[in-house]
Amino acid sequence: MTPLLGRTLVLLSLLFASAGAVFAFAAALRSSRPALILARRLAYAYAAAMTAANLLMISALLAHDFSVSYVAQVGSRSLPVWVTIVSLWSSLEGSILFWGLILGLYIAVSTAIISRSFEDYLPGALGVWLSCATFFSFLLAGPAQPFATITPVPLDGPGPNPLLQNHILMAIHPPFLYLGYVGMTIPFGLASAALMRGQLTQDFIRPLRRWLLLPWTFLTVAITLGGWWAYEVLGWGGYWAWDPVENASFLPWLTATAALHSAIVVERKGMLKGWTLVLIKASFLLTILGTFMTRSGVFNSVHSFTQSSIGPTILVFLAIASLWSIFLLAMRIDSLESERHPLYGASREGMFLINNLLFVLLTLTVLIGTLFPLLVEAFSEKQMSVGRPYFDQMAVPVGVALLFLLGIGPALPWGRATKDQLRRVFLLPLAAGAVAGGIGFAAGVRGVPTLATLFAGGFAAVVTFRELSRSLPTRSSAARGPSRRRFGGYLVHAGAVVVIIAIAVSSTMKTSIDAQLTLGQTVKIGDYTLTFAGAREVAEPHRQSIIATVNVSRNGSQLGSLTPRMNFYENQREPIGTPDVRTSLFEDLYLSVMNVDPQNQTLGLHAMINPMVAWIWGAVGLMAIGSVVILIPRRKLIIAPVPTDPAMAQIAPGVEVEAG
Amino acid sequence: MNRRVLLIGLTASLPLLVVLAMSFGRDPHRVNSPLVGKDAPLFRLRGVAGAPPISLADLRGKPVVVNFWATWCVPCHEEHKILVETAAAMGSSVQFIGVVYDDEEAKILEFLRLNGNSYPTVVDVAGKTAIAYGVYGVPESFFVDTKGKIIAKHEGPLTRELLYEYISRFKAHLG
Repeated sequence: MTPLLGRTLVLLSLLFASAGAVFAFAAALRSSRPALILARRLAYAYAAAMTAANLLMISALLAHDFSVSYVAQVGSRSLPVWVTIVSLWSSLEGSILFWGLILGLYIAVSTAIISRSFEDYLPGALGVWLSCATFFSFLLAGPAQPFATITPVPLDGPGPNPLLQNHILMAIHPPFLYLGYVGMTIPFGLASAALMRGQLTQDFIRPLRRWLLLPWTFLTVAITLGGWWAYEVLGWGGYWAWDPVENASFLPWLTATAALHSAIVVERKGMLKGWTLVLIKASFLLTILGTFMTRSGVFNSVHSFTQSSIGPTILVFLAIASLWSIFLLAMRIDSLESERHPLYGASREGMFLINNLLFVLLTLTVLIGTLFPLLVEAFSEKQMSVGRPYFDQMAVPVGVALLFLLGIGPALPWGRATKDQLRRVFLLPLAAGAVAGGIGFAAGVRGVPTLATLFAGGFAAVVTFRELSRSLPTRSSAARGPSRRRFGGYLVHAGAVVVIIAIAVSSTMKTSIDAQLTLGQTVKIGDYTLTFAGAREVAEPHRQSIIATVNVSRNGSQLGSLTPRMNFYENQREPIGTPDVRTSLFEDLYLSVMNVDPQNQTLGLHAMINPMVAWIWGAVGLMAIGSVVILIPRRKLIIAPVPTDPAMAQIAPGVEVEAG
Repeated sequence: MNRRVLLIGLTASLPLLVVLAMSFGRDPHRVNSPLVGKDAPLFRLRGVAGAPPISLADLRGKPVVVNFWATWCVPCHEEHKILVETAAAMGSSVQFIGVVYDDEEAKILEFLRLNGNSYPTVVDVAGKTAIAYGVYGVPESFFVDTKGKIIAKHEGPLTRELLYEYISRFKAHLG
């Protein structure tokens, strides 16, 4: 019964999405209002069908209805309820179903909002959104069916991948990732609509940027949660490994970040319109590339799903979407009427341009590094892998340059800066940079990249803080909207400054030791003394664990004990360790088990001191808060076109005044 | 139509799509063994339950399938039945050898009683042979030609089709 109902809902969603796409494109071509109204209703119907299908799957999972193929694949009677709900997206078919839900909700909400103020853009956008929806419904109807019928009905199932069961972050990271990935469909549709109409007006760039900022924020948080999960669970003491699937989520983030900046130039100067649309389209296409990389079985990664047959289907979709985007861009880019202004190097817009070039450079670097092994293997028998050294060597200089730019850009005026202005705005930041570098040097930092990061970080911090205080929202402020937007933007910058510094420090200043200990033996790392206080075996329904207890003291005072462990899962060949971390403000003490023997009470311990790691999580939180400050709708101002505002110039005197 | 945009777009995306399309069927877990194409490391190991020892060097002139396995390895059970059947079918044209890794005598005998026994099984004491062959996990199989050279390596359980495919390569090497 449930499988039949589920398949019906999936087929209905396919019907609604495909018919809606046809009507929407018809409405775009002939500007037919009845067709648009119909398309809009079909969009809501698609969202409703997807929501119903997801609710049905969740209820089947909770009811352990093993006649549904997906439940038989990932369900298990012995699981806690949260794992049962999480298993909705733990495997391939369910993850596509969940994708459909998020896409449906995004389409419904953005249709409702966009129709209020920018109805002219709606037909084209709706056509693109529903075309994407058609594709994902097609996957659910054919190659990745979650609602197939199983006979005879099994009594119990195996449960999801054990790695996904051992940390609560696995319940939070994937939804954020989907909200980021799927959300890129919305700006993609809006950018396509702008191209189809052959115009990108200054008042439309604002909602376009907001619809880009929303998935960008989710993606930022999702990438960080993924790193955090790796840090807390995988036991090697790091949070980023340049793994193909990590890179897959990083690529659209990079282009979207570039687009968020170039959109400001469009808004202020009417320049870079075509370029901004290219970046937005690339961000979406890179999410589809990422989906391909995770689900085609071509890449090896801790994150990827198992081998599947949907790879070719996704690749066809990627090819169609790419070629269509390229042709649309080529056909319409000249009609966008970007304004041309003389571009001065020492100006805000000049810095935006350099920012964009750096982000694109980083995107290409990561893309090439990720795909190079495929390229080599496609044309020769050789196997190869591109490892950390390549990515680190390429990414570190670009990262430092971006951090420096984070300080220079906001300090420069639009148009052309005079020498006097330059001296005035940069004197203090330069001094702060020198102080930050000096403090680092005194604290024992000797690596040039880290010192450069500290210098650029000090520089950027002062500028960001100055701009932040200038844009503080005040109750009396006449133009609260724009001011709040600037304030939020600089909060994001402040977070970014801290993240980059924390990454530099944590990855270059860590210390580690390996020790083989018997019961009661101690080992020292930094100021900490670690004592092995015993190992015990614990049996849980889904795994066997050996837990080591290590007492920690610092300069003679007891700090409690840490319990890193080794877990043995039934269907896993190798045991999986779980580290234990003691976090303090400036450093983490990180312990993981290399080998442990409860009979003879011996422990092979890998201990690390990782400085400033907690700052990364906190600072990304700050970035998210900054984005939310920008995104919260207050008054109608957000979707209504904002009048060109002389008030802007008043709230930020000096640097904000256009010199040109 | 802006030809420059079209040209840049196509030159950036088409090669990418082609490379991705060519990558289907790639197994990202596969690791090429540096041993393939080299002489197989020689070993002389004692048989199970007092059976005479076997030396790889003595088998020169015959194609050999060296299969590393263990009783605690779940996929080895299914694979073993296929190996036993195939070895019996091949007769003396191909020599099969099972090398047991990290295991106990009693368990090995019980395993052989359950899953069949049509070719010699030897015991890899202290895992030295497994180390010489770079065995990463069991089961793992090496195909050694008449001149003592490794022509192929397979990680994970062999299916009947795969096994015949590898054995057919012995003939290709000869002819």
